[in-house]
Amino acid sequence: MEKIKITINSTECIADKGKTILEIAKENGIEIPTLCHHENVKLYGACGICLVEGKNMPKLMRACSTVAADGMELYTDSERVKKVRAVALELLMSDHEGDCRGPCTLNCPAGTDCQGYVKQIAMGNDREAVKIIKDKLPLPASIGRVCPHPCETACRRTKVEEPISIAFLKYFAADRVLADNPYVPEAAPASGKSVAVVGGGPAGLTAAYYLALKGHGVTVYDAMPKMGGMLRYGIPEYRLPKKVLDAEIAEIESVGVKLVNNVKIGKDITLDELRKQNGAVLVAIGAWKNTGLRCKGEDLEGVMGGIDFLRRVALGEKVDIGKNVAVVGGGNTAMDACRTAVRLGAENVYVIYRRTRDEMPAEKIEISEAMEEGVNFKFLTNPAEILGENGKVNAVKLQIMELGESDASGRRSPVPVEGKFETIALDSVICAIGQKVNVAGFEELELNPWGIISSDERYFTTSLEGVFAVGDATNKGASIAIDAIGEANKAANVIDGYLYGLDTPYTAPVLSKREPDETFFEQFEKAERIKMPVRPAEERKHDFKEINLGFEECAARKEAARCLECGCHDYADCKLIRYADRYRIDTCKLAGEKHECFTERKLEIIERDQGKCILCNLCVRICREDAKQGIIGLVGRGFGTVIRPEFNKPETISVCKDCLKCVTACPTGALKLLNLK
Amino acid sequence: MCHCKCNENSDLSALDGVLKEYAGVKGSLITILQKAQDIYGYLPTDVMYHIAEAIGTTPAEVIGVATFYTQFRLKPVGKYLIMLCQGTACHVNGSERIETAICEHLGIKDGETTSDGLFTLKNVACLGCCSLSPVMMINGETYGSLTPDSAIGVLENLRKESNA
Amino acid sequence: MRIIVGEGSCGIAAGAHKVYESLEAAGITPQITGCVGMCFLEPIVDIYSDGGELMRRLVKVKPDDAATIAEAEKTGDLSLLDSITISDEDAAFLSKQTRIALRNCGVIDPTDINAYTANGGYIALRKVLGMTPEEVIEEIKISGLAGRGGAGFPTWFKWNAARQSVSDTKYLICNADEGDPGAFMDRAVIESDPHNLIEGMLIGAYSIGASEAVVYVRAEYPLAIVRLQEAIAQAEKAGYLGKNILGSDFSCKMRIKAGAGAFVCGEETALIESLEGKRGMPRLKPPFPAQRGYNDEPSNINNVETFANVAWIINNGGKAFAAMGTENSKGTKVFALTGKIRRGGLVEVPMGMTIKDIIYDIGGGIRGGRECKAVQLGGPSGGCIPSDKFDTLIDYKELAATGAIMGSGGMVVMDDTTCMVGMAKFFLDFTAKESCGKCVHCRIGTKRLLEILDRITKGNGLQGDIDLLTELCEAVKDGALCGLGQTAPNPVLSTIRYFRDEYEAHINEKRCPTGECADLVTYSIDADKCRGCTLCAKKCPVNAISGSVKTPHVIDSEKCIKCGQCAAVCRFDAVIKR
Repeated sequence: MEKIKITINSTECIADKGKTILEIAKENGIEIPTLCHHENVKLYGACGICLVEGKNMPKLMRACSTVAADGMELYTDSERVKKVRAVALELLMSDHEGDCRGPCTLNCPAGTDCQGYVKQIAMGNDREAVKIIKDKLPLPASIGRVCPHPCETACRRTKVEEPISIAFLKYFAADRVLADNPYVPEAAPASGKSVAVVGGGPAGLTAAYYLALKGHGVTVYDAMPKMGGMLRYGIPEYRLPKKVLDAEIAEIESVGVKLVNNVKIGKDITLDELRKQNGAVLVAIGAWKNTGLRCKGEDLEGVMGGIDFLRRVALGEKVDIGKNVAVVGGGNTAMDACRTAVRLGAENVYVIYRRTRDEMPAEKIEISEAMEEGVNFKFLTNPAEILGENGKVNAVKLQIMELGESDASGRRSPVPVEGKFETIALDSVICAIGQKVNVAGFEELELNPWGIISSDERYFTTSLEGVFAVGDATNKGASIAIDAIGEANKAANVIDGYLYGLDTPYTAPVLSKREPDETFFEQFEKAERIKMPVRPAEERKHDFKEINLGFEECAARKEAARCLECGCHDYADCKLIRYADRYRIDTCKLAGEKHECFTERKLEIIERDQGKCILCNLCVRICREDAKQGIIGLVGRGFGTVIRPEFNKPETISVCKDCLKCVTACPTGALKLLNLK
Repeated sequence: MCHCKCNENSDLSALDGVLKEYAGVKGSLITILQKAQDIYGYLPTDVMYHIAEAIGTTPAEVIGVATFYTQFRLKPVGKYLIMLCQGTACHVNGSERIETAICEHLGIKDGETTSDGLFTLKNVACLGCCSLSPVMMINGETYGSLTPDSAIGVLENLRKESNA
Repeated sequence: MRIIVGEGSCGIAAGAHKVYESLEAAGITPQITGCVGMCFLEPIVDIYSDGGELMRRLVKVKPDDAATIAEAEKTGDLSLLDSITISDEDAAFLSKQTRIALRNCGVIDPTDINAYTANGGYIALRKVLGMTPEEVIEEIKISGLAGRGGAGFPTWFKWNAARQSVSDTKYLICNADEGDPGAFMDRAVIESDPHNLIEGMLIGAYSIGASEAVVYVRAEYPLAIVRLQEAIAQAEKAGYLGKNILGSDFSCKMRIKAGAGAFVCGEETALIESLEGKRGMPRLKPPFPAQRGYNDEPSNINNVETFANVAWIINNGGKAFAAMGTENSKGTKVFALTGKIRRGGLVEVPMGMTIKDIIYDIGGGIRGGRECKAVQLGGPSGGCIPSDKFDTLIDYKELAATGAIMGSGGMVVMDDTTCMVGMAKFFLDFTAKESCGKCVHCRIGTKRLLEILDRITKGNGLQGDIDLLTELCEAVKDGALCGLGQTAPNPVLSTIRYFRDEYEAHINEKRCPTGECADLVTYSIDADKCRGCTLCAKKCPVNAISGSVKTPHVIDSEKCIKCGQCAAVCRFDAVIKR
């Protein structure tokens, strides 16, 4: 066979004469992207993704069809090539409509593949589910119990009846795997690099876990006696039993993370020392200071912060709150505080909140459970003054409020009703109206105007070289644990790159999204969301034992099976989205009219999603040339061209031999094999 | 026999002669479709299925071709097929105003047929009568140098003729 | 005396056949000829002496004129016809042309093979049969003939490539799928001189060794198809077609394939797909048709005008042909001159003439005394040339340098009332509709270009749209699979290049400088000029105009649909369009 010599991106390639550029590139390990090429069918040349540039050649060439000539100097990554490919992808994406990921995943700050693990749980593969979860979050049993689950808020099943119980399913699977045989992935070989993580809360532990898996030596320093941060000291035992947290922290330790407690930065060791000893430092110290009430009497004895109160209880201290307790605030910390107060034996527990129940930021279930436990909600009231005697609280004077105009956030703001007050007798007041960062020991870091550490949103870097920061201590301040976990996971990747001198900022993946119209949901039969069984209020309010009883297995499987599977089944293998992400295209840049978007099941066991079809015509060609059937074809021309299984035929097409060659060849998720039961 | 469950019930035997003439002649699908359209006035679905079977190809192939070329119609047309030229010269000389006037007058859009089945409007590529622009052709007759008024006048005359 | 009626498609459309019938009724036996190219004067009746000399050319003849013509014929007093005789000025339209491809058009009877042979027809074929194919190709090479379909590829090169391909079966294909919306040269040749095409094709078939020739004709050309069918039948009968042509070893049959309406079939690989009875979607090149084309056999495809030059070249020698034109472009080129031109029609000029010569000397300048703004060459694949560049020569290279192309011959003249953004939109609307839908850059790219242009003309253009258009255009040029897509951005790029200010006015000021974009125009009535005649109010389709008799009227801009009918009917120039 006669040989020729060409260069591709300056790599010299020797190849048989008569081979195409694409074939030669493949032989030499150079990937040239293509969406419409397939070995089993004739050359087609439609997608325009495989274009390459040749030196001294005016026109770009389609690598799939151009036979290489001796001496060609080819470039697969010149600016012109990148541009023409990017435009092709932008054009394709402008007429591609599908959900790469389900709304649950998109709304999860950590990007957990909810649909993926819910499906595994439905199929009975709990271990597989945990594997998927642990790709994004190392504390599934703990987080599954406490997460306010933005995933469920976004869940489209709500449009049928109620969202999938995603968080509790996570806790179900994680508990089972934990009890059976904990899943811990193997860490990469030691890199010889080290990272210090300050703060052993969800963010610090998460970053430590993923950095350790990448082979780095990680030490977590924490000021408290045990690891877990707010999960341990902010969340009461009845919601998250500490033995569950302990078990998950033990897993993290088992991948090689060193845990050091009772260390205060600036006191026991300085930030500077940590920087010198390590390749990088991650600051994840949380927000542990209470925001004051700023009303008269707030320094009386018996007035305490919500976080402080919960921490002291968690530490086993005896906290004297008396019989009559008021908790100020409407968030989850307020709920934790009031329910803890009930469990400590208080007889009258009030929640003082200046708006109404509808505006309360706390989880709905927390509010109703607190009510069941006898908590007395004083809506539309606000402490005007804390009254006391001998320096100790004895009552609170409440200003009566009403709802006025809507503010910028859309919530109606509370306004005082002139001259209307109410006074209630109290022994203690717990203020749960907000948290602040305590930056002691980190004075060198630049803070934002609110006194919070500034951290770059893509690099998580601070004003100090090699010092990164995530979680409640940064930027917007306190948020939910899963937020901090999401940042920590992303930061771990950035730090990993940094340790090797690479520039690896976090970049959101390029994705396609769609919003199905209401009629879409009509096809689903209603199936009620399965409730988590809980201990009766009268029983649970007297102790700190976990109130959730956990899902029965069959209930969990059934609940998981309710998932609508919004995200594309083909996301992991979709060539279109992979290339779109590689070329970092702007999916909206060339937005315009789209094809009508619908799914059809004319090919019996194959579902065809018109919105995802990119007209590469592979299914038609495979069906005709490879499967020798010719069942599907192109209809119309130009932009209006569509692929149709025959014409106007109402019934399914039984001649289809179900060879599935078309499904396999489809470069996107437009064709899907149905799981017919 | 037609396998599809379409509502059409065309007289397929009318096509026998054409199918016989082109039996075994490679690449004659377009010609057969043209002749079928001459016979039926358009391409009924059952006719397309019949052609596919007769020449040994798939319906998908036949329909693919029939929907690619603008000459083919999948629906019956009106008695008068108004072919309104959209060539460059006609465009420069105001074919858009003619189209607006016709659409308004007949209450139909491009590709549609009036409810009385009299007129079908079809925008077509250049008819090649550029010096007479703007131009329309109705059932083989050319009408040039149109104004919105004269175009409507032509249609009204045809309507009268057809009623007479 | 012989009375000859010009019966090309546009002559017939203008009423030529009605004239013919009334002449018959008046007792004359008229003959017909094809299209002489003076479309602006149709219907045309020529009076020849028995000796074959053109005595009178009557223009814009009406059926009513038949009696006068009959009278003049009987009496021999041609002065009776003075009022319908062509003016000297209009006659200049023809006298400034050089006709090779169109040499018989409007001169001979296209339905009669004897008329063709009497005018030197089929002599070239006889001559060629005495030459080797290589000698013929050499003669074509000397002539410098290049493809007249638009690309301008040397004809001899294609012939030679097909000649070199080894196969028992080869095809010669004539591309008569004239799709440029504003060009009708090929139709005129087929309708007016079909044997010239047949002879040119036979010479081509002989040269490459093809035994089968196919003419792919647009479906929209019914008359051309009929005339060509007749001509093929006559040629077969006369022994010019079929087995052992003129007693030689050369055999060639010829047939017509009617297209079915797809501009993309002008692209040669799409044409081949269509010939094979498939969807007209272009194939990848290579392999080129000369290697593997129709039915996977070596095939050569040329356009009608190219073939129409061949017999002349053989008869007069390649050198004579090459003597005309410029260094890069030889011979003549036919243009279909249309738009806002006074004398529109078919024009054949030697290469090297300026655009100005064509528009002013032949075309007589702009209609209605307005100012010429630009000329569009090459239709949807071409570009515009602004009036300050009218000294550009008709030459492949020179025209390409302006951003336009020679193209197949569409030459559309635009005056100062033509919006150039609207013009670009018109062409993109065309290419987007005609895109076959195969490759991404063309299928979605032309659609998006059209959408962006559409929003600009509607006053919704965004800052950055010009850059976005440019970027998208460059990518479509680079990425599209075939010529249709690769050239589709040209009208956009060339209007941006020369009329960027018009784009900017639409985008920044929401204003159409020509007033052509209806969405950007407002109509009002000048109270000083309005006499209150109520004509506009009566005409307004949406009752947007109010006012009583003899008092100035007012247009309600909320109701106004900007149809412009008020402005059209006003006799006092009182409607202001802004």
